[in-house]
Amino acid sequence: MKQIRRNILLIGSVLAALFLVLVLYGAYSLSNYGSRWFSTNANSYLRSVKQDVLPGSIFDRSGVMLASVSAEPQADGSLSWTRVYAEDASLRRAVVHAIGDSAGKVSNAAESFMAAYLYGFKQSAVERLQEALNGSLRRGDDLTLTLDGPLCAYIYDQVTSDRSLPAPARGAVVVMNWQTGEVLSLMSFPSFDPAAGAAESTLGQPYFNRATQGMYAPGSTFKMVTLSAALHDTALSSQSFTCQGTYLPDDDPRHRIVDYGTDTSQGIIVSHGQVDLMQAFSFSCNNTFAYAAARLGDKALRSEAMRFGFNENFLFRDIVAENSSYPEEDRSAWEVALTGIGQSKLLMSPLHLCLMTSAIANDGVMMEPRLLRSVTGPTGFTRLGFSSAPYRTVTDADTARTIRDAMLLAVNGDTATGSAAAQSGWTVCGKTGSAEKDGQENTNAWFTGFIADTRMPYSVTVLLENAGSGGSFAAPLAGRIFSRLINTQP
Amino acid sequence: MTKRKKRQPDQKKLLTPARQLIGLVMLFFLLGFLTLGLWLYTEGNNAWPRALVMAAAVPALIYVGVLGIPRLFPGDRLLLSLTNFLCAFGVLILFRLNPDRGISQAFNYLVGVIAMLLCAVAFRLIRQWKWPVLALMAASVALLTLPLIYGSEINGARNWVTLFGFGFQPSELVKISLLISVCWLLSKRRLIWAAGLTGISLLLLMLQKDMGTALLYYGTVLAALWAATGSGFILLFGAAGAAAGGYLGYRMFAHVKKRVAVWLNPWADRQGAGYQIVQGLIAIANGGLWGLGLGLGNPGVIPASYNDYIFTVICHEFGVLFGIVVLTIYLAIVLRGISIARRADNAFHALLALSCSVMLGLQTFVIVGGNIKLIPLTGVTLPFISYGGTSLVSSLCLVGVLQGISARTRADAAPADGASRKGRPAPRRKEGRR
Repeated sequence: MKQIRRNILLIGSVLAALFLVLVLYGAYSLSNYGSRWFSTNANSYLRSVKQDVLPGSIFDRSGVMLASVSAEPQADGSLSWTRVYAEDASLRRAVVHAIGDSAGKVSNAAESFMAAYLYGFKQSAVERLQEALNGSLRRGDDLTLTLDGPLCAYIYDQVTSDRSLPAPARGAVVVMNWQTGEVLSLMSFPSFDPAAGAAESTLGQPYFNRATQGMYAPGSTFKMVTLSAALHDTALSSQSFTCQGTYLPDDDPRHRIVDYGTDTSQGIIVSHGQVDLMQAFSFSCNNTFAYAAARLGDKALRSEAMRFGFNENFLFRDIVAENSSYPEEDRSAWEVALTGIGQSKLLMSPLHLCLMTSAIANDGVMMEPRLLRSVTGPTGFTRLGFSSAPYRTVTDADTARTIRDAMLLAVNGDTATGSAAAQSGWTVCGKTGSAEKDGQENTNAWFTGFIADTRMPYSVTVLLENAGSGGSFAAPLAGRIFSRLINTQP
Repeated sequence: MTKRKKRQPDQKKLLTPARQLIGLVMLFFLLGFLTLGLWLYTEGNNAWPRALVMAAAVPALIYVGVLGIPRLFPGDRLLLSLTNFLCAFGVLILFRLNPDRGISQAFNYLVGVIAMLLCAVAFRLIRQWKWPVLALMAASVALLTLPLIYGSEINGARNWVTLFGFGFQPSELVKISLLISVCWLLSKRRLIWAAGLTGISLLLLMLQKDMGTALLYYGTVLAALWAATGSGFILLFGAAGAAAGGYLGYRMFAHVKKRVAVWLNPWADRQGAGYQIVQGLIAIANGGLWGLGLGLGNPGVIPASYNDYIFTVICHEFGVLFGIVVLTIYLAIVLRGISIARRADNAFHALLALSCSVMLGLQTFVIVGGNIKLIPLTGVTLPFISYGGTSLVSSLCLVGVLQGISARTRADAAPADGASRKGRPAPRRKEGRR
């Protein structure tokens, strides 16, 4: 009996532990995913509430109206409302992927992901009672986003007026404050006019939010990560390399890695000669970085990429972002070498690249991207203010500064690839990328960079699909965005 | 003991903390049903007068259940109050989902309380379990074979029987008879018999494709077996058996395979196979910490909201915090059962009290875990709250057994004068020591 009593007590403790697991798991999943479950379009409760509540308006950071509402009381006392968008057509198209549309064509935008505020779910019982007593219509909270409307409209005009891009221009532009994580632009194109309800043509997936959901090969922009890993390796960081224009990671001649511009069939071989890591970065030398990646090995490179946020389940407060991926399986030396230059099944969103760039600017600390600046209740009080929060540390401050110097060289150095982004009087750092995509004529043009100055703490990431090299397409656009930022001081 | 000697019902005794608490609980249900009446009235539903009847009937049922039963039977008051609260809460929620179901559940509740009393009395009266156990063993096997002959298939499992126009789920009733038989066999060190009986029952359940209940039987018997022997080998063997059984079930039954896939990613097919889980998670998120309020949500969109998904409905309208309170009540019931098991006078009673607690605890864990997507969803009911006569009766029978064992133990331990309360004859305590 004594033994049985002891065993019974043990089983009781196990049962108590099971109940604790239930509560802990429930609390964990609800706090991390609750807002995501709530905002899906499968939520019929939310749909029914939308018929009784006027949604709040959405403003940009300086109070420019991006979306408001016009209500018409019906004869039977019910409510009928329509969304009204900004007057400027470019502005409407420039921010539609970030704020969303009432028809729900764009998923996971502010209109749906922040529906809890817009439709008054965060209002207390006291507030609801007051509204009921006043006899006024129920109205949700107003949102002020971190977006800079005029800047977005400017960028949109720049992209659509650029005749050198394939029509319709496809890609994304992300602009962030690298100190606070505020997102100033989260643009995808081709776009559509939410006021018209739907796009004129669905060519190029106009409803798709490329900035947060698009998965692209990073190309040479990934050299930031390879460089960070190489700098942690004492042998590689002090080594000097000889670029002969081609590099074979294994003995298979089909696995030849060449530099951008090399065409072996025409006998053109681009080679950089004797370089150190910093110079190789500024020339975007594929051979050096492929060699460095092969030397580091898959494991070291993967763990570095994971520190930068690859394979991470992104759970940001204001933004739903697709997770970037670094392949998990065992890979050959050739594939690892290709990974070092940002190809071979690496996938990443433009937003994530902007986050990584911002982390380099911010001494290795990645800030959580924020889209929500404040929430204002119907009676005018501020329900929620802005708070910035570090998301993770991607690399140590010394390494971040070294990468920053390399990125400075990649914009300001002799024959640097990103020179089109340079601004006189300001320290602009950056990295270009020209990522190959199967079945696509030209490479995807990337530029990601920042102004290394706390008076102007902005980072810009540009992606132009099927455009050509990052240096000649993406960097000039980034340069215009930097100069607009410098001239207007948002 | 000193309190028991006070016989005079003076002013102070009328308002003991326990009575105040019961008063509050009665008020809770009174207001709950009045709210529902108001809600039905504004919705234009002509079932609203019935809500008013329930507003009087359910508090009365609680009053009788919690304060009346102890006059008939010296049971465990804590256990009694907690189970009564959960049953009445189930009636409230079901009435909100569908007034007809709520009223029918109230009758189930009444039948269940009577069954609970019968079980409790049986455990006080029956001293020789040999013949009853043999009868129960035969009944268990017979009841479990029934659905294979007369059964009808519901949600992939063939575990329902309709006899004389009266539908019930034999596997629910067998819970109690199987546990009594197995625990008695274990207390007599008839391990082979116990294992054989469990094996046959599990096989019959597998043939009915009722994996959820099979899992409960298995886990409970394993716990009893381990408590009786304390053998690590049994634990290891049991875990291996569970893994093999789970794998076999996964490979053999298409509906089990589907449930696992849906559990891993319900969002992939949110309009089809994953619909129930997705809508359940959304409903919990809609409720948030404080809930949407009784009658203000839309639990109707969740399939099986009245049985498998009733915990989600609670979180939806009463809030996650209230859901945690409900879980705490379940845990309190289970731990009370564990403490009754530890105080039991002989091995049979100890093992049986343990099994009843494990069964209730495990069942709650399995269904709530399925609701919040911690484990794959299996179709078992939430004890005391889910809609269904058989389920409610069987859960209350488990509590009845606990009550009986508790009363027996207390009667045996109490001194002669204290044991006789309110002039009733003292229990025959000597015989209990045999």
